[in-house]
Amino acid sequence: MNVLQIGAHTFSSRLILGTGKFGNVQSMLDAIRASGTELVTVALRRFNREQVEHDLFTALSTIEGLTLMPNTSGASNAAEAVKAAHISRELSGSPFIKVEIHPNPQHLMPDPIETYEASRILASEDFLVMPYIPADPVLAKRLEDAGCASVMPLGSAIGSGQGLATAEMIKLIIRESSIPVIVDAGLRSPSEACAAMEMGCEAVLVNSAIAAAENPAQMAAAFASAVKAGYKARAAGIMPKSGSAVATSPLTSFLGKTS
Amino acid sequence: MITITLNGEQRDIHDGSTVDDILSTIGAEKQRVAVVVNENIIYPEKRSSLVLRENDQVEVLSFVEGG
Repeated sequence: MNVLQIGAHTFSSRLILGTGKFGNVQSMLDAIRASGTELVTVALRRFNREQVEHDLFTALSTIEGLTLMPNTSGASNAAEAVKAAHISRELSGSPFIKVEIHPNPQHLMPDPIETYEASRILASEDFLVMPYIPADPVLAKRLEDAGCASVMPLGSAIGSGQGLATAEMIKLIIRESSIPVIVDAGLRSPSEACAAMEMGCEAVLVNSAIAAAENPAQMAAAFASAVKAGYKARAAGIMPKSGSAVATSPLTSFLGKTS
Repeated sequence: MITITLNGEQRDIHDGSTVDDILSTIGAEKQRVAVVVNENIIYPEKRSSLVLRENDQVEVLSFVEGG
């Protein structure tokens, strides 16, 4: 299937963008357009009068066909995340929720216990739950059984740019999952997004790597190409590795000798 | 006047003020915001009629950039 399917929703792009860390709203909008994404994350915060000129909802509404996936960042436990999800659904009208509970600002690692509990509750309330999780195959399977629409294991720490440090664990998650596996966090370059897609991920979620690039729109386009290439390569069937050389040309000599 | 808590800060407002009145006061009347009063989400159609009471806990929230 050429489209990304999450629940009953389909997306032609397999690149999901975070909206944080951009230098300004225009830079973010340019990157979203250049990426071709149809799904972006947003966060919920107390209204600030100083942000009136930059109302995010209005800004994102200028891009046709964009679906919002609010996150629960700022929640330190399941109860807070569930509350944030309810408010976000009222505000966005979107069934998607990125469950994100990382109580320790030093490493921002997701709390697996609170994440599981919040996801279980929200899945039972017909949210399309997309939990941000450690790359743990057991937790991923438990979340699938709890009704999550996808799982989003981290490649490495949020914003670290350390790439696919958890690649082997992500492969195990993919092998066991029947819901989309989406790498979220840590990617630094398009080649890593391509590798994640070749590995079997259904999509990747990128924020810092694009927002912190010198030219965010150009980097967004580069990530879009890489995600497409990785997906296409996987669909084409990647050759198996061999422990020794396998010749691509005939090994027979041609100058005065016969084989 | 009565006292409410608005986004974590105490605030004196006129008796009879509605949720919509508060949104106007803080410049949020034209924004896409969620309103929560005492843990209950207040939908837009109720905001012009819901009169706030002493000690109400009011949260006004909106979307911001995030990953």
